[in-house]
Amino acid sequence: MEKNNKLIELKNIVVEFDGERVIDDMSLYIGDGEFVTLLGCSGCGKTTTLRVIAGFIQPQSGEVFFDSKNINGVPPYKRSVNTIFQRYALFPNYNVYDNIAFGLRVNKVPEKEIEQRVSEMLKLVNLQGFEKRSITKLSGGQQQRVAIARAVINRPKVLLLDEPLAALDLKLRKDMQKELKNIQRQLGITFIYVTHDQEEALSMSDTVVVMHEGKIQQIGKPVDIYNEPKNAFVADFIGESNIIDGVMEDDFKVKLDGKSFECLDKGFAKGEPVDVVIRPEDVDIVPAGQGMLRGVIKSVTFRGVHFEILIDVQDFMWMIQTTDEYKEGQEVDLKIDPDAIHIMKKSKYSGQFGDYSTYSDEMDALSEITEEDEE
Amino acid sequence: MKTFGKLFTFLVYLFLYAPLLVMIIFSFNEAASTSVFTGFSLHWYGELLNKRQIGEALQNTLILASLSSITATLIGTLAALGIYHMKKKAVVKAYMTVTNIPMMNPDIITGVSLMLLFVFVGKTLGMQDSLGFGTLLIAHITFNIPYVILNVLPKLRQTDPHLLEAALDLGCTPVKAFIKVVLPAISSGIVSGLIMAFTLSLDDFVISYYTTGSDFQTLPTLIYSITKKPVKPYIYALFSIIFFVILLMLVLMNVMQAKSDRKNARKNS
Ligand SMILES: Nc1ncnc2c1ncn2[C@@H]1O[C@H](COP(=O)(O)OP(=O)(O)O)[C@@H](O)[C@H]1O
Ligand SMILES: [Mg+2]
Repeated sequence: MEKNNKLIELKNIVVEFDGERVIDDMSLYIGDGEFVTLLGCSGCGKTTTLRVIAGFIQPQSGEVFFDSKNINGVPPYKRSVNTIFQRYALFPNYNVYDNIAFGLRVNKVPEKEIEQRVSEMLKLVNLQGFEKRSITKLSGGQQQRVAIARAVINRPKVLLLDEPLAALDLKLRKDMQKELKNIQRQLGITFIYVTHDQEEALSMSDTVVVMHEGKIQQIGKPVDIYNEPKNAFVADFIGESNIIDGVMEDDFKVKLDGKSFECLDKGFAKGEPVDVVIRPEDVDIVPAGQGMLRGVIKSVTFRGVHFEILIDVQDFMWMIQTTDEYKEGQEVDLKIDPDAIHIMKKSKYSGQFGDYSTYSDEMDALSEITEEDEE
Repeated sequence: MKTFGKLFTFLVYLFLYAPLLVMIIFSFNEAASTSVFTGFSLHWYGELLNKRQIGEALQNTLILASLSSITATLIGTLAALGIYHMKKKAVVKAYMTVTNIPMMNPDIITGVSLMLLFVFVGKTLGMQDSLGFGTLLIAHITFNIPYVILNVLPKLRQTDPHLLEAALDLGCTPVKAFIKVVLPAISSGIVSGLIMAFTLSLDDFVISYYTTGSDFQTLPTLIYSITKKPVKPYIYALFSIIFFVILLMLVLMNVMQAKSDRKNARKNS
């Protein structure tokens, strides 16, 4: 599938609004046919990045390449890139058919061919029979499909999708994720997908780009991003993580909470302070005396598939996920295998994340709501 | 209480319409009297038809209203677009205040100051008599522009800001994108601005009075000059006709509104 290694390349892009740096020296390349996701919380510059690629924003500095050609000054209507906007931006004065046919009509494709291609598209997005329907009479999911069809019908080399599923409810969102992935595979179009939903990013993408404050934190395959986060921000943002201060004693040996642990990481200086990431599902709870770290269970929450258990170990709150039930106040030991430990270099995010002392369900729910409001 | 309410309503309408009714009745009077009704006749309507200057003034008024409202709509729509795309809130506020002042300003001040300007510029350019159709047209365009802006701007603010970008994204040049997606979205505001400008221009007397010359009379300025002399009943005939034309327009507009409402209701059901 990968014909060209660098269909789109961003080199040292800087975007500022009123002197405020929104994209900070961003470099990234995207291969032909790839499904790349820009992942980050609201306001981190995802939409701005897409708008730079689409040509709606000229970066203060840096270069945008398409097929190895610099396209910095090329206006949006001359780029073979199409966008699915955050709020769809369907044309309210046209019906479904005319919305989808819009791009082809602009490019003066014969009406006969348009008819055939529109009906292909309607089939692709499962909207046969909706041709004459007014846009204002469609449900959110249907509008979403029209937006996809309107963009894809032009056979762009690259499709930019800005949180296309954010406005849909959970069930519909899951279905549309599958459909989008299918469309991408079928048509072989490069997708640059924007979302603040890490689950969506991990399940759909070939490559995930984690962004924060206008900077790329990590680029990688979903599995690598999850298993080998580069810093405390990524570790905390993708899934749940316990992030503990540690010191490398030697290759394959890290000290935390006063105990030595075997691990699989090497290449650090002897005595170098590091961040140690341990995923909640990788820790076993064993009876007191049989593990490496002693703690007291502070809370137990049932989550459906597993229990979420908070354990206080030397004033640091660990989160552990297990299918066994425990009681609050119980004294237990933690058992951690070498392959459960991931070592990261210290970064400016060290110490900010990974301790569940201040963790509560309400806070999670709240932050999710405000995130959606901001969109 | 209920009968009192009815009585009150009746009195209000009586005061509103009695003068018009009297005027309409006396426009059909046989004699020239305004106090005694001597018998029914279309005499004054016939005389009205013979007054060439009234026909001319009517024609002038319509030409002026059409030209000024269309020009004001063009300029006002562009101005609204300009204001809409301004980034700084304070600048937008300033522009809107400047836009609103001419509407609040008493007509007589606008009229006199425009006249002063026209005369001054005319003298500077060495013209004998600068006031006439040209100055009148400029004056009407000037006072119409704010009303167009006020009709178009809210429509622009209601439309999805990404529509234009979506059209660009699909290959339209900026001008084409504007015509194909933005213009239809704000067309109702443009049309209502145009209609408002047209009627304001038809209706205007004060500003026209100061900014036109003796060789170009609109209906309002002409009527004013005629009514200064002892009023002739053919003026009643003219007023009655104007009243009925306006009545007819109102009825038509209501019917059309009701029709489009029904159509919308069906569309959304
Ligand atoms: N046109 C603009 N003018 C000023 N600031 C902007 C503009 N667009 C975006 N921003 C700011 O840039 C930052 C990044 O925005 P955006 O790229 O939309 O974030 P995201 O899509 O990741 O939520 C935000 O702080 C936002 O307020
Ligand atoms: Mg965004």
